[in-house]
This record gives sequence, C-alpha cells and structure tokens, in this order.
Amino acid sequence: MKNNIRIERAIKGMTQEDLSVKVSVSRQTINAIESNKYIPSTVLALKIARVFKKPVEEIFILEKND
Amino acid sequence: MGWFILIPSTILGIILCINDFGAAWIWTRVFAIANDGTNGNTLYFGVRLSNITDTVIGVPFIIGALLVSFSKEKNEDEFIAELRLSSLLWAVWVNYILLLLAFLLVYGSPFVEVMVYNMFTTLLIFIIRFNYLLYRNSKTVPDEK
Repeated sequence: MKNNIRIERAIKGMTQEDLSVKVSVSRQTINAIESNKYIPSTVLALKIARVFKKPVEEIFILEKND
Repeated sequence: MGWFILIPSTILGIILCINDFGAAWIWTRVFAIANDGTNGNTLYFGVRLSNITDTVIGVPFIIGALLVSFSKEKNEDEFIAELRLSSLLWAVWVNYILLLLAFLLVYGSPFVEVMVYNMFTTLLIFIIRFNYLLYRNSKTVPDEK
C-alpha cells in the first residue's frame, strides 16, 4: 500500500508535527506511514483522511501485490 | 519506575552469578508448595527454613522487567504498540533459537546455568530490542517535508 500523505501535507503546508497533533499520534508514526514502514489502522486512516477532507481512497492506494 | 527496580536487581543478580550463587546469606522460614525433603524426596506444602537470596533478587528483577516492558510510553500510540508486539515476537524467537543452540552445545551441569539465565533472557532481549527500535525510529524522523 502506498499513500499521498506527504503530498497532501505539502498542499496544506503542514508539517509532520501538525498532522500528528491533529490525529493525536506521535510524529514517528506519521513519519513511518509516509515512508511506507507502517500501515495505519483503519481508524487512523479515516482520521487522516478527515484532516485532508478527502476520501480515504485518494490518500491510501492499494498496490498490485496487496 | 520499573528501571529503578530493574537496574539494582540486575546488578545484584550479576554479582550473584559471579559469586557462583555462593552468597547465600539470607535464610528464613518460608512457605513452599514444593521443597527439598530429607533423603531426596520432595516435600509438598510446608513451612521450612530456606535460603531466599535468589528469591530476594529474582522477584524484584521480574517485577522491574515487567514494569519496564509493559508500561506505556509517554506518547504511546498504535505504531508504538505495534513495535512492542513485534519486538516481543522477535525476542521469543531469538530466545528460543539461543536455547536450542544451548540444548545442542551445552551438556551436564553447565546446562543448569543455561536454564537459570533463560528464565530472564526473554524479557531482557525484549527490552533491548524494543528500546533499540524506539531509538531508531526517533532517529529517522528528521526527514521532514
């Protein structure tokens, strides 16, 4: 699974810290998700999508081997 | 909190191992579910005099290690919870691989020592692995933007 969080953050002008505070996780978590080291839970994915006001599918994208 | 109990009892434990468990200076009467009886049979459920040095050191060690292992981080979230679980799995694997090697390579009375250490290594390996992963993840954060 890949994601567009880094791009969406850049559009909104947010740092990892800002986003992590908004979805109440640590900054390491956001960093790990962006670098595809960690797949967030559904709850966290929905929260992130809500911050960017977009459907989840536009931020998290399945890849061929998923 | 856990560290305050764990560190002194670890140091005492190491001293005890170096002294070859000879520092048996604390004797008291204890209640035991099982204990050595006379002429080699086991006594069940009784109060009797026993050396409790290793109890005094082992109990705080286990309590301290459990506190260190399973108390929440300041910023515990789902990613850290996942790190915790995966390091526990890793620790069990490593511990049993080491135990397997010890089974194959250690025979006779030194094997008793292997069993003694093995009582504590799972938690120790877990603590080391988990803290290493936390450290590594806090290191990689600076790639902002």
